[in-house]
Amino acid sequence: MSRRSRDPVAAVGLVAVAVVALAVAVPVLAVLWRTLRPEDSWTLEAFGRILSSSRTWRLIGVTVAQAAASCAVTMAVGVPVAWVLSRYRFPGRSAVRLAATVPFVLPSVVIGSAFASLLGPRGLVDLRATWWPILAAHLCFNLAVVVRTVGAGLDAVPADLESAGRLLGATPPGVLRRVVLPTVAPALWAAAVIVFLFCLTSFGVIVILGGGRVSTVEVEIWTRATRQFDLSGAGVLSMLQLLAVIAALVAHARLGRGAVRATHVDAEPRRRRPTSGPQRLAVLGAVGAVAVVSVVPVLALFERSLRVGDRLGTDHWRNLGSATAGTGLVVAPVRAVATSVGAATVATLLSVLVAVPAARAVRTRSGGWGDRVLLLPLGVSATTIGLGLLLAVGRPPVDLRGSWWIVPLAQSLVAIPLVVRSVLPPLRTLPGNMLDSAATLGAPPGARWWRVELPLVRRAAVAGAGLALVACLGEFGATVFVARAERPTVPVAISRLMSRPGGAGFGQAMALSCVLVLLCAAVLFAVDRIAGGDEAAGTF
Amino acid sequence: MSRRHLRLICAVALSALLVAACGDDDGGSEGTSEAASEKVVLLTYDSFALPEEAAKEFERLTGATIEVRATGDSGTLLTGALLSAGAPEGDVIFGIDNTLATRALSEDLLEPFTPDSIDRVPERYRLEGDAGERLTPIDAGEVCVNLDRSWFAEKGLAPPATLESLTDPAYRDLLVVESPVTSSPGLAFLLGTIDRYGEDGWQDYWRRLTANGVRVRPSWDDAYYSDYTVSGGDRPLVLSYASSPPVEVVFGELEEPSSEVLLDSCADQVEYAGVLRGAANPELARRLVEFMISEEWQSELPLSNFVFPVVDVELPEEFRRWAQRAEDPAGLPPERIDAGRERWIEQWRDLME
Repeated sequence: MSRRSRDPVAAVGLVAVAVVALAVAVPVLAVLWRTLRPEDSWTLEAFGRILSSSRTWRLIGVTVAQAAASCAVTMAVGVPVAWVLSRYRFPGRSAVRLAATVPFVLPSVVIGSAFASLLGPRGLVDLRATWWPILAAHLCFNLAVVVRTVGAGLDAVPADLESAGRLLGATPPGVLRRVVLPTVAPALWAAAVIVFLFCLTSFGVIVILGGGRVSTVEVEIWTRATRQFDLSGAGVLSMLQLLAVIAALVAHARLGRGAVRATHVDAEPRRRRPTSGPQRLAVLGAVGAVAVVSVVPVLALFERSLRVGDRLGTDHWRNLGSATAGTGLVVAPVRAVATSVGAATVATLLSVLVAVPAARAVRTRSGGWGDRVLLLPLGVSATTIGLGLLLAVGRPPVDLRGSWWIVPLAQSLVAIPLVVRSVLPPLRTLPGNMLDSAATLGAPPGARWWRVELPLVRRAAVAGAGLALVACLGEFGATVFVARAERPTVPVAISRLMSRPGGAGFGQAMALSCVLVLLCAAVLFAVDRIAGGDEAAGTF
Repeated sequence: MSRRHLRLICAVALSALLVAACGDDDGGSEGTSEAASEKVVLLTYDSFALPEEAAKEFERLTGATIEVRATGDSGTLLTGALLSAGAPEGDVIFGIDNTLATRALSEDLLEPFTPDSIDRVPERYRLEGDAGERLTPIDAGEVCVNLDRSWFAEKGLAPPATLESLTDPAYRDLLVVESPVTSSPGLAFLLGTIDRYGEDGWQDYWRRLTANGVRVRPSWDDAYYSDYTVSGGDRPLVLSYASSPPVEVVFGELEEPSSEVLLDSCADQVEYAGVLRGAANPELARRLVEFMISEEWQSELPLSNFVFPVVDVELPEEFRRWAQRAEDPAGLPPERIDAGRERWIEQWRDLME
């Protein structure tokens, strides 16, 4: 104990945990404050108004229903794909697995744009302002979660156990029900709850594809705050959203207990070649499903970015260099790229600087209060963070509205839990006697951290930073509240371009979406080279 | 030992560089606002078109250029401005209309300013009290349903002639309007129906519109450019402006416009400009608002923005010929709008969404 109290790095860690707690509490309290005290007196007017409106309850119903439907569709497609990928060996297997994972790391506005290009006014069928494109986009985005999480669960079912079951006379369905299902159930639950949660708080996809007609609680928070100027109404909805997300996270922790994580699986499970007709058909079906769900939308994006009227051309790409009248964007799209890269880099740096010491401070007690504090940002929806930040630091005495820093601040809040999730497992498996040996050998605390601990978590920290960077590049829900018109980030610029369907901005939105895809791909590639394969991405 | 230090130094240097790079960005934008002694930023909505000749004249008079910064629909424009009140993204805001005028008084958004030449603007366009001290009328127009004459001729269908007839099953699935939540013509039209059908009857009218298949789009751009048959869409009735038909002649190389205005559906709209509190260039901002009611600016408005000027200037030929004005457009007095607006929007959303 006395040893740790002298450890300067530990003190930094406690400060970092406090910073995270404060960074979450401040926006949430700012929203609550504005809701309860819109002018100079306390009032429950907004709560009464919003909670008594039948529309609110309809909206909640629709939000839950679309999340449940998206979740069901994603499970219905994802579980069979995971099954095929886990049980069969076939050429291109790892490519299919990779393809299914890619959309998960793409920004939500990019997925939205991709489906707008397929199922919008200039697509195959115009399904604007219906739920279909949104369900499709949710499926595309979340397929990775199911394939990865359930796949890890399936891989962990010992093959011996299955053969033993068969040997003891169980029919194949019997083995499935009594051996495989109980083993995989936690992973199935974990995947389902996380997909449900993501769809519950889905924002970018619905803003782009909803066409103003289709809305959810998360989108309504934004509409009320930025269209109706009803900040207290938005605040009430934020609080409802907060409760819903916390409930989902608790359910995830309960139901997903015992889910196998990919990193824990050591042995490569035995996979068979598909031999019979139905087996080949199953493999073909899985490959086809991944191609349609994950590959076609991204390809469509690139195709649209190169389509100029009836011919192909690079006009939209070349136009990225200058602001075009009639697109709704007041700066050249390349300026948005520069803003995004700068802000995301700083946000990543901030979140690593906070998350690594904070994770270190809580590593000794799993499930303790510190642990929970670090997961807090996960529980607050992006629009709540954006709105809260705007209310907290958007008024004298602290007025950052005109400052460049407000965007990276918002983004780092979203990125902190990602880094924590990455570095916590290796920190927890760090052999304690290694540090003791270093101490015995006379290394001061700082040197122990720098020479023993850091090298051991570096890989995970780089992987976490990479994920954080990608998340910040694509961050939309919080950024859209705080980004100024003259300094949009790429996702904000894309949503702006996409909000004018008749404008000249559609092609530019497509090109800009492609730029974002390429940026994210470059980051992930670099991370892969530095930190090695990132098996855990998408596993919950 | 030295190698380790080197790495540490590298890391520190890299972070410092990054922070410096961002600082630069920050400094850069501050630099521009300093250099903005020759620039005045006009915050406005998407479909605004700067009257080019007048802008040149303004530059000649003051040495300052006008930078237009469009930020969405007028509803979005005003809310964005309110959220950044005191730390504005521009100097002058233009595009607040009579339906939203009183909302612009919250958050201490605007500096009081009345142009010296305000008497050029007829009383009927001006606001009273606090609003009048901060908002200067710039243009006027009417929000009306437009109909595609050739579409109706082709189908052998007589076009609707009254607001009420839009609920006639003969015109099922033909109308597209804008949402009053995001769009100012949408809100003006909603207020028009409240004026016409009263507090007790408007919701029923909208229910009948819904039963008759009305489509709601978030913005004018959306409705006019992607749904209206004249622009290649599938709906021959669109909520637009009384002055929209001349646009087709000016831009569409047509002899006469394909669209006609359903005069019975028209609702009043006046648009205002104001000086934003905290403007980087308050002096230039005031000069711009003053200039916006000058002869130069006003006479160019019809053909650049297809609205009617608020001062007495000669109208262009296309306007005299093709722009229609309703004799008695619907519209509510400002105090009724102020008292009812937020409640009506909520009720409309309950009904329609």
